[in-house]
Amino acid sequence: MTTLRWLVFGIAAFAMNFPILVTLSTSFKSARELSTNPGLWVQAPTLDNYLAVFQVTDRLNIFLYLFNSLSVALIGTVLAVALALPAAYAIARGRLGERTLLPFIVNLRAVPLIIFAIPLYMMFQWLALLDTRLGLGLILSIVNLPLALVILVNAIRDLPGELDEAALMDGASRTQILFRVIAPVCRPAIVTSLIFGFITAWNEFLFGLMLTTSKAVPITVGASFFFAASGGGVQWGVASAVMVVGALPPVLLGLIMYRQISGSMTAGAVKG
Amino acid sequence: MAPISLKKAGKQYGNLEIIRELDLDIADGEFVVIVGPSGCGKSTLLRMIAGLEETTSGQILIDGRDVTAASPVERKLAMVFQSYALYPHMTVRRNMGFGLTLAKLPAERIREKVEAAAETLKLTHLLERYPKELSGGQRQRVAIGRAIVREPVGFLFDEPLSNLDAALRVDMRLEIARLHRTLGATMIYVTHDQVEAMTLADRIVVMKEGRIMQQGTPQALYETPANLFVAQFIGSPKMNLLPCLPGAGGLDLSGEGSIQLPLSGRAAPAHLGARPEHLSLVSPDSGHCRGTIEVSEYLGGTTSVFVRAGKLGLINVSAPADTPYRLGETVGIHIDVARSSLFDDAGKAIAASR
Repeated sequence: MTTLRWLVFGIAAFAMNFPILVTLSTSFKSARELSTNPGLWVQAPTLDNYLAVFQVTDRLNIFLYLFNSLSVALIGTVLAVALALPAAYAIARGRLGERTLLPFIVNLRAVPLIIFAIPLYMMFQWLALLDTRLGLGLILSIVNLPLALVILVNAIRDLPGELDEAALMDGASRTQILFRVIAPVCRPAIVTSLIFGFITAWNEFLFGLMLTTSKAVPITVGASFFFAASGGGVQWGVASAVMVVGALPPVLLGLIMYRQISGSMTAGAVKG
Repeated sequence: MAPISLKKAGKQYGNLEIIRELDLDIADGEFVVIVGPSGCGKSTLLRMIAGLEETTSGQILIDGRDVTAASPVERKLAMVFQSYALYPHMTVRRNMGFGLTLAKLPAERIREKVEAAAETLKLTHLLERYPKELSGGQRQRVAIGRAIVREPVGFLFDEPLSNLDAALRVDMRLEIARLHRTLGATMIYVTHDQVEAMTLADRIVVMKEGRIMQQGTPQALYETPANLFVAQFIGSPKMNLLPCLPGAGGLDLSGEGSIQLPLSGRAAPAHLGARPEHLSLVSPDSGHCRGTIEVSEYLGGTTSVFVRAGKLGLINVSAPADTPYRLGETVGIHIDVARSSLFDDAGKAIAASR
């Protein structure tokens, strides 16, 4: 029975991760092997594709793209959580805007982002934010805000109100309660919002494509520059290598922080 | 330490009146227990005194100072919550010292005060632990410790023992009583448990629907309840209520018996209240009324005997543990008339002239 279970699990896992496995294996194949060996097994593994990716030229600079992605993801995440935490506290405790503001903000998630594209482009042009890391980071913080708000509102709602009242009796102001009692207790939820936000921001493509041209290009957009690096057809090996490099940071982050995430997703489900 | 007074204090949520023009004077160092069924407004009243709930009319005075609009910290009161409300991310030491840290006391002073309070409450060995590593009783002691270190002018307790198991509740009750003796502080304690009220209070305040039904020493409330509500709420097991009418030479127990009792002219008794411990079982042909034993509960020290007595209903009699009367037997019930109470139709006590 156990064997059968593992067999089914193995097949399902293989099928679901097939595209990733193909990309990984392709990134280690030479151009010659690619044309003769379509299989997953690499006959003569080579790092040439990766060396090509890390080669800085006047047209391509992977380090800049990675740095841009890191910057915009950090701005877009930290700012979103910094805005969401006080808002979540006001919504959860003061019941401010619980009926209108919260559904309205959360509903932003449901709107296709492309709707914002044209007005944003014009606003950014006017504000000289086009092709800047700050500009892209600001937009990503708005993309991240709804989820961060929902996670934090729920986390704060799960805390007993007597905690705030005990702090009030101890002489804490509302701000002190938020930062010295609520925030530390909500740490798992805050970390979860940061991780989800970082992954979303890192993987974002649409605004990166529209609002940046050279200086602030993130890795998702920069990666596509490598596909036809030296003219001619698509260089599959190099393309695969750059995708692996670009995908690695959020995947590693997700794996490292998995315990934190799963901890906060179940926290409050049962009164401890 | 300070006296606390409420002058026509009221609380209204929209059109809903939770507390109605309530007057209450608590003396310096007094232990007052506010008791009542759930929803009677007792917790709201405590939170109004704490400053956690707005007082919509009237005044609250602490030490003669009007604090009706003051913030909780300005009132210098400490509160112990039902759920303990310890800060889960802080050690016991930091939990107890948090208020002092906020007040920007020097670290050395905080350490001294916290350690002194921990000493009184036998928490010294737990100072570096987190709340989740403590038992319920220990958490409650930390919550009390957090209240003590701030040296408040008064303590407020909001059902502090109801999350503890029965045995621990008795221990903590004794500990709170001891604490009141040592500190001599004004304490206001809210509970729905009348045993806690009876054992702890200098004075009990019984509340119902936002009003004070009666206040007085535990003994006064037990012996001379002002109305049916207090009579039934105070005392365990509950007082028996026997429907009655004025009759020839005294009371007519709904045709099931009679009591010779001089009644003053205008009194119109409708209920005779008699506590189980003031009733005794006698042979069927003596006693004030009679009935059949329906249930008998052996409690070790005594036996609770429930007697079905016609129109008088089921009467609970506290009999000696080795009572000779058996289930199904017809018995007489003797009422200790001097220790029973009379109530009129509206439930108000009739001052006895017996």
